[in-house]
Amino acid sequence: MSLRGALRARVLLAGVLTIAVVMAGCTSKASTPPGTEGAAGAQTTASQDGVLIGVMGPLTGDSAEYGKIWRRGFDLALEEINAAGGVQGRPLSYVFEDTQTDPKQTPAVAQKFVANEKIVAVIGDFSSPASMAASPIYQRAGLVQLGITNSHPDFTKAGDYIWSNSGSQEDDAPFLATLAVEDLGKKRLAVLHMNTDWGQTSADLFIGKAESLGAEIVLREAYLLTEKDFRPVLTKARDANPDALILISYYNDGALIAQQIDDVGLDVTVVAIGSVYSPQFINLGGEAVEGVYTSTRFHPADPRPEAQEFVRKYRERYGVEPNNFAAVAYDGMKILAAVLNDVGVDRKALRDGLEKAENLQTVMYGTTSFGEDRRLRNPQYLRLVVRNGAFEIWKP
Amino acid sequence: MLDQLINGLVVGNLYALTAVGITQIYGVAGVINFAHGSIYMVGAFVGWMAVTWFGLPLLPTLAVVLLASALLGLAVERVAIRPFGGSGRTVLLLSTIAAGLILEQAAQLIWGPETKAFHSPFADVRFRVGGGSIGTLDLLILAVGLSTALVLWLFLKRSRLGWAVRATAQDREAALQMGVDVNQVSRLSFAMAGALAGVSGLLVGLYYHSVYHTMGFSASLKGFTAALLGGLGNIPGAILGAYLLGTAEALGVAWLGSSWRDLIGIALLIGVLLFRPGGLFAAARQLLPEPTAGTFIPIGRPLQIPRWALLAAAAAAVTLPLVVRNGYWLQVLATAWIFGLLAVSLNLITGTAGQISLGHAGFLAMGAYASAILTSRLQVPFLLALLLSPVIAAAIGVLICYPALRLRGQYLAVATIGLGQGIALVALNWPALTRGPLGISNIAPPSLFGYEITSAAGFYWLTLALLIGGIWVAERLSGSYLGRALRAVREDEVAARAYGVGLERYKSIAFGASAFIAAFAGVLLAHSYTYIAPDTFTHALSLQVLTMVVLGGLDSTIGVVAGALALITIPESARFLAEYRFLVYGVLLLLMLRFRPRGLLSAAS
Repeated sequence: MSLRGALRARVLLAGVLTIAVVMAGCTSKASTPPGTEGAAGAQTTASQDGVLIGVMGPLTGDSAEYGKIWRRGFDLALEEINAAGGVQGRPLSYVFEDTQTDPKQTPAVAQKFVANEKIVAVIGDFSSPASMAASPIYQRAGLVQLGITNSHPDFTKAGDYIWSNSGSQEDDAPFLATLAVEDLGKKRLAVLHMNTDWGQTSADLFIGKAESLGAEIVLREAYLLTEKDFRPVLTKARDANPDALILISYYNDGALIAQQIDDVGLDVTVVAIGSVYSPQFINLGGEAVEGVYTSTRFHPADPRPEAQEFVRKYRERYGVEPNNFAAVAYDGMKILAAVLNDVGVDRKALRDGLEKAENLQTVMYGTTSFGEDRRLRNPQYLRLVVRNGAFEIWKP
Repeated sequence: MLDQLINGLVVGNLYALTAVGITQIYGVAGVINFAHGSIYMVGAFVGWMAVTWFGLPLLPTLAVVLLASALLGLAVERVAIRPFGGSGRTVLLLSTIAAGLILEQAAQLIWGPETKAFHSPFADVRFRVGGGSIGTLDLLILAVGLSTALVLWLFLKRSRLGWAVRATAQDREAALQMGVDVNQVSRLSFAMAGALAGVSGLLVGLYYHSVYHTMGFSASLKGFTAALLGGLGNIPGAILGAYLLGTAEALGVAWLGSSWRDLIGIALLIGVLLFRPGGLFAAARQLLPEPTAGTFIPIGRPLQIPRWALLAAAAAAVTLPLVVRNGYWLQVLATAWIFGLLAVSLNLITGTAGQISLGHAGFLAMGAYASAILTSRLQVPFLLALLLSPVIAAAIGVLICYPALRLRGQYLAVATIGLGQGIALVALNWPALTRGPLGISNIAPPSLFGYEITSAAGFYWLTLALLIGGIWVAERLSGSYLGRALRAVREDEVAARAYGVGLERYKSIAFGASAFIAAFAGVLLAHSYTYIAPDTFTHALSLQVLTMVVLGGLDSTIGVVAGALALITIPESARFLAEYRFLVYGVLLLLMLRFRPRGLLSAAS
């Protein structure tokens, strides 16, 4: 019995291993970009056909939503880029590797991208742990990593190949403070922020600016990413007697907070950071988000032609309004394409090109260039308020 | 204060709905159903479709959801419970986890990953109570919670079928001999619990005006906590436990802050279980909620692998980077070696000592944070940090796990979920030491004797060396008196104690040794990622390590390394499946559990 059992176990084990090996075999074929047959082929054909960007991000798991939105932004950008002749006459495309924005998976993907000579730059990942686990590999290999949602203050400090076109907290949060304190005249602020690297840094910057403008912070509360029940913390806010509630939130949790404000009898103006600027915020929040103030770098009514064009095309193609995540993805791809077109398809040249590039056209920043911290300069803001189920431009 | 009490009761209301379903299934099948949260989520989506697409009013929606989720409950029973009848509860735990994963991935493919707005089909009228308010929906949820609990209780106590259900729960074999169709009973309970899960998902979805594919997990975690507080299998206890949890959290948030919510729940659970290991409302004679011998974990006889084959495999692994120049595969394998080391460490707890731990990410986090803080704050050289961190992790690990070690079986399993998450939450809420949510960045790469290890091959060798060291230590421990004592605890606690093996003492040694080895993996992780934050150490990671151990073969050191290798390389190999990757992973997991319940490298005993 035991001998037969052992034998059976070995046969089964062999079976499982075979499956694993076959699957491994399939991948190496499947993941090779179309047009190349194996590594040797890549070298000879690389100069003639397409240019490739590696994208690592979440397509499954908790953050899958954002990866899907990215893809829409990339696809829209690529349509335009390739219709206009691509990069130096060569078509630009991307490979999207799903990492579930899990730091366990990104270093391997980074090695894969580094080894693929067709890839000239990388975009991603979504969360800070996942992105920053891969950064040292890109830095050592000399491959540009462009973080499109990486506002972590240390992200670009990993080295001179690490860049970001994400909204910088150093601009967003102080602008929101001006909006709340100077434009709306609020003096007693209760601040709720997501307890993540982004939430904490933004809250620090917001509070610094608000206090320098003469406002008093009557409450500061961090909440967990998974929090759904905000009644206890809102009751606490109500008892602190603020004249405005400041939300450093994403749109999902921002809408949830707005809905529970009324339940605890808190009746104050709500001012939320730009991340809530998404149709989802209104969709989820309904009546409860009426009268919420926020700020953004672009709006469908923004007269800048590049913003107008982006919103129109996005709406035409997907039937919904774009949000910030779509815009940063679109911008990221456009920036890489523009610089590659100028300096040629080369990893090192791209890095130097990003440093020298002037007059980059973006949706989020207008015409801009990178600063010494390898983030974009010259942010422009619009003030918004939710009225009749839509974001409207608001002027003080 | 009064307002906070009301806030607590309102959220306790929501917890009660899930807790009742979980406790009912436990009462019947003797298993914590980890797919419960996924049925809850599907129920919410079905209700959302009924309301948003077909414009149904509330009552027909409820009926549709009841029917659909009862059917889903049946399906889960058919696929993830019945085929595993004889294979012990660890396997059932993992098979329900796999079923839950499949449902969650399928839901994401069907309905998409974005959160859906769910506006209620009826007007919500709010009544002022104190400074806050209570709405009609709160009352509806209360009514549904209490009435289902009452109906369930009456059914179990008064009807013949209910007696059959209880008889099956007490002794399956005896019930079978008395002519009870136990499969029928099992189907019935899963259908009922499924229906209840679906309706709770619907109501909670309405309450928060949103449904999304990952909503089940945190809801079921709160449900587990409430059910354990009340005593598993005890329906009124689960409801009281839910209200207790809700109020404790609300008061805790008022006192400490919102980031402390989950930590408060965990502390409450462990505090209560410390004094009443069977839950608050368990009678004293129910102190032994689990069978302690044999049946709990199926241990196969480890497959005898000849020594030369092991040496050959080790030699092949060592020389691999000389042949394979592909950085990608070296990186994947290095990750597999780190997780192999982690699996070896968990195997001491789960395989050798027979205790389930679902919080192993916590030990990993302690090793990683210890080394990150030592090297980047205190400028300690890497080699010294590598040696010091495991000592620190083992000391803290024993200290915090000790109170939980009085618990048995699934109680311990849920307590370890709490401990694992608790460690990450402490890292989040202690910014002075850990920089809180910002995490620690720019951790130096490993350096030995003045050489920085930055290449994929160098890192591969470092991880492999530590893995081989870990295997050697674990094998030595396993073959010593300690290993035999731990196995005695696993096989029969009462007999072990009678022979003079102190249970808590030996379990602590197992947890300490495990934390010690896991911390090495943590150090490697920190210096390889160069950035760690509290959300690096997720609950999903703990689950994955446990899966590696069970799949590889409990109590087989080489087997669990093979398990780690398989579970790291298969998802990597399956990248071409894109969005379907983790759906396929769930199906594979279920199949492997079905056909190799004692692990890949383990023969049937």
